[in-house]
Amino acid sequence: MQFFLLLTSTGLVSGAAYGLIAIGFTLIYKSTGVVNFAQGELVMLTAYIAFSLAQWLGLSFLPLVALTIPISMALGLALERVFIRPMLGEPTFAIVMVTVGLAVILRGLTILIWGSEPFNFTAGMPTRVVVLAGVPFYPAQLWLLAALAIVVVAVWLFLKFSRYGVAMRAAAGNETAALLVGVDVSEIHALAWMISSAIAAIAGLLFAANFKLAPDMWFQGLKSFPAAILGGLDSIGGAALGGLIIGVIESLSQGYIGEGMREIAGFIVIIVVLMARPFGLFGSREIERV
Amino acid sequence: MRTLLASCAALLLVSGAARAADPGVTDTEVEVGDVNIMTGPAAFVGKGFSLGSKIAAAEINAAGGINGRKLVVITEDDGYIPSRSFQALTKLIEVDHIFALNGTSGTANVMAMMPLITDNNLPTVVTEAPASLVYNPVRPSVFTFGANYADAFYAQLKYIHDHGAKDGAWGIIRQDDDFGKEVEQGFDRASKEFGAKMGPALRFKKGTSNFSAELAQMKEAGVTVLANGGIFAGAANILAEARKLDMDIQSAGVWSEGIPASARLSAPAGYDFMVADYVSLVGPANDKFKAMAKQFVSDDELANISRYTYVSYIGLKTLAHAMSLCGKDLTRACTIEKLRGLKDFDTGGLSAPVSFDNPRQLSGTAVGVYQYDVKAKAFKALTGFQQY
Amino acid sequence: MRTGHFREKPGQLIALSDSRTVWGWTLALLVALALAPLVISAYGLTLMVAALIAVVGAIALNILTGQTGLISLGQAGFLSVGAYANGILLADYHVPVWITIPAGGAAASLVSLLVGVPSLRLKGLYLAITTLAFAFIVNHVILYAEPVTHGPNGLFVNGARLFGFNVQKGPPLYYLALAMALATLFATLNLSRTRIGRAWMAIRDHDIAARAMGIDLVRYKLLAFVISSFFVGIAGALMSLQLRFINVDVFALNLSIEAIASIIFGGLGSVAGATLGAVFLSFLPEALRLSFAALPFGGADLLGNNVYEIRGIAYGVIIVLVLRFKPDGLIGMWRDARKYWSQWPLAY
Repeated sequence: MQFFLLLTSTGLVSGAAYGLIAIGFTLIYKSTGVVNFAQGELVMLTAYIAFSLAQWLGLSFLPLVALTIPISMALGLALERVFIRPMLGEPTFAIVMVTVGLAVILRGLTILIWGSEPFNFTAGMPTRVVVLAGVPFYPAQLWLLAALAIVVVAVWLFLKFSRYGVAMRAAAGNETAALLVGVDVSEIHALAWMISSAIAAIAGLLFAANFKLAPDMWFQGLKSFPAAILGGLDSIGGAALGGLIIGVIESLSQGYIGEGMREIAGFIVIIVVLMARPFGLFGSREIERV
Repeated sequence: MRTLLASCAALLLVSGAARAADPGVTDTEVEVGDVNIMTGPAAFVGKGFSLGSKIAAAEINAAGGINGRKLVVITEDDGYIPSRSFQALTKLIEVDHIFALNGTSGTANVMAMMPLITDNNLPTVVTEAPASLVYNPVRPSVFTFGANYADAFYAQLKYIHDHGAKDGAWGIIRQDDDFGKEVEQGFDRASKEFGAKMGPALRFKKGTSNFSAELAQMKEAGVTVLANGGIFAGAANILAEARKLDMDIQSAGVWSEGIPASARLSAPAGYDFMVADYVSLVGPANDKFKAMAKQFVSDDELANISRYTYVSYIGLKTLAHAMSLCGKDLTRACTIEKLRGLKDFDTGGLSAPVSFDNPRQLSGTAVGVYQYDVKAKAFKALTGFQQY
Repeated sequence: MRTGHFREKPGQLIALSDSRTVWGWTLALLVALALAPLVISAYGLTLMVAALIAVVGAIALNILTGQTGLISLGQAGFLSVGAYANGILLADYHVPVWITIPAGGAAASLVSLLVGVPSLRLKGLYLAITTLAFAFIVNHVILYAEPVTHGPNGLFVNGARLFGFNVQKGPPLYYLALAMALATLFATLNLSRTRIGRAWMAIRDHDIAARAMGIDLVRYKLLAFVISSFFVGIAGALMSLQLRFINVDVFALNLSIEAIASIIFGGLGSVAGATLGAVFLSFLPEALRLSFAALPFGGADLLGNNVYEIRGIAYGVIIVLVLRFKPDGLIGMWRDARKYWSQWPLAY
């Protein structure tokens, strides 16, 4: 039983990391219809920025998060204006390709500025082990789980109740109609990128504290794709849930079956689920009219 | 008409075959190539290695070069990708006309370059990835310096056993490639010989950072001696996970953990982990090396000196020594012959003396065991260089 | 400017080109390619072989993604299957190379059926990630099936002889790659002009409408997968011949991304675009290396070791810039240039 609990708890932790990054994907896709292939690199870059901030200013965890979020939002805004805005109106695959190019640039930039050595990054969190219900956790892992819950609730509240959130949902539903009722769609796109960067910063900070701060962190973004797909590309809650499911299944399959199953468990799960539900668990069915 | 076509065809097919007798040698210079990991996440390995080549070349040139010829090192980047290693070596051979090869990057990379090395009879010293695949079968122009991972792990596990292993099972976590296979071979040899209780033998994919499932299995099985086959951040993650599960373990690791960056990553877990290496990590030889290197490199670069610097330095020094024995008439064949006859070449204490005079053209198989003292934040030597 | 352009026979309607000039220039290009080993250095030849292999892969991917609209990120997996099938048959079973190359293609086709069948209902990114998943799973299986594939040890591929020539290096390899690239090109161009090609384009444009017109989606989608991966398998086989040593590390995800990049960069949907994109992206790293080495005032030395990372960044910058100013890709640039040339001095 202890073994099962251990596996499930660590699965939830890594699943929370997938989920947070997946929410970033989903938010941008939902609002702009573009898949941001540079999300993993954004997570990595904001994590490194947080690392530098922590080194210069010696902040503890919450102030560090509070400082990193506005910086990453500014970064997201800058990237959107420079790379995505000029591509307004162009076919989607061209914009997606631009994000791929952006990913290459960000990867090289990270190594150029910070070097390629991995760093130890505690993000100002305590490192003594905490035991809950007989299962040991690092505080960083508990923060990761908490962050996922907070972000999901915050984004849901934002989308449901705030003016900008409603406007975002309108733009996601039908851009032309939203324009007609007075929603500034380009502002909404910028906002989507900014919020997504903020989430990426939280994800990056916590991922780095939990696992590693190294220039191959961007691969985590790719591994979070299945989480976004599983939940449905335009469902925020689905992305979070998808991440948790994949994390737990990966951990359980590696623990009980082994043979490197962790690497492909997530992929096998999405293939099976997509055969039954082609738009993910909670994704909205695209209705095509001829 | 037919003869015209036939001769055109023959010309086309032969045109690639013409080749100079021995490229890379002039009266004033001799060119040695390095294929290094200069970009990508493993770049700090390649940069450390490249530093060793630079220091060796600078030291040799300051002392007059190789029989009056200046030693020039040409570096190409492969980003740790085997197909790029192949392309990089092609460029070094065809465009830069190198005489010999010192930097060979990782195991998969050197294997990808092997067909080119054998085709061109390129004198090559492999110091960075001395896997048994490199010298089994032995290639005439390839000289390997370095212990294999199996011996390195056997040495550490033997030390642990000889000095009182904790009661409990022995477990191993290793990568799912040829490097990991070798680690497991050393582990199997030790666990059989010392009659240890066998714990889980687990594999993971390169780049994994989440070892929670593996360590949970280890804890379940009551493992107290762990063969940690992870590298860099992976090894640190394994130790951190073990600490979280409050495991009391003695850990044997890969020599990649002997560089300052890795030690910084693994230290917070609080284990006095061990490594075994075929070059010296601490000691008077290292201090002497750093003092010598100071004249040739900047302070920033001085801080990057690691075991990769030492292996590259040793590799280039042995190559240069063999070349200098050839005198004025410097050819690849002569260099290879001199390398084959190399016996007890002194590396200033950085490793055991280098001797390639054996059928496998293999040296440096003696390893020393080191342990990281968490309180002192430094490595200390447990044994000298010994053969296993 | 041509006027009074009439087509009098059905054959002229589906001909690749009806212009003598175009055929003349094409012939000149073919002759230049055939004579290339005489003038180009051995290093340049290896670059060209790599480019030709990329062309085969890009044209094949274009069938699936550009013509049928099925986005695939699984290129690396199919390359891997083709390479390993070719390598195992050649090295372990000593089958002659003129059988192993098509066998590599056939193996990739069989695997693609495994990918294609679950993917029939999927669209867009869902399909892309499913193909990505298969690429990962395929590489994983190859790594763990040690008795057959040599697992982590990798595979040495040698012994490929064709007409008495060793086709694994130098000019013979170049001619083999050139022949394969031309065969793939013509096969694809011909396929596009048949009802199969038209069915694919209908599926891409609107698959429900296509179904309503009577096009069997299952049949044509699976056909797209099978034919596309046949050629990708051949590209993989050629890769294994050139590299002479393969293991799963060679077929990492970046191959899939580069393949998609070539076809989008070149111009999605057109065979010429795929070819241009593949050639351009194959030569781009080399071009960057040469231009950085030629920086004035010893600029290359100033950058020091950072030059490698900066070259990597420059690669991304070029992709972004080209797509920013020419979202149609290289083929868009080509068409603009051609229009400008043929209409000068008139504006339109």
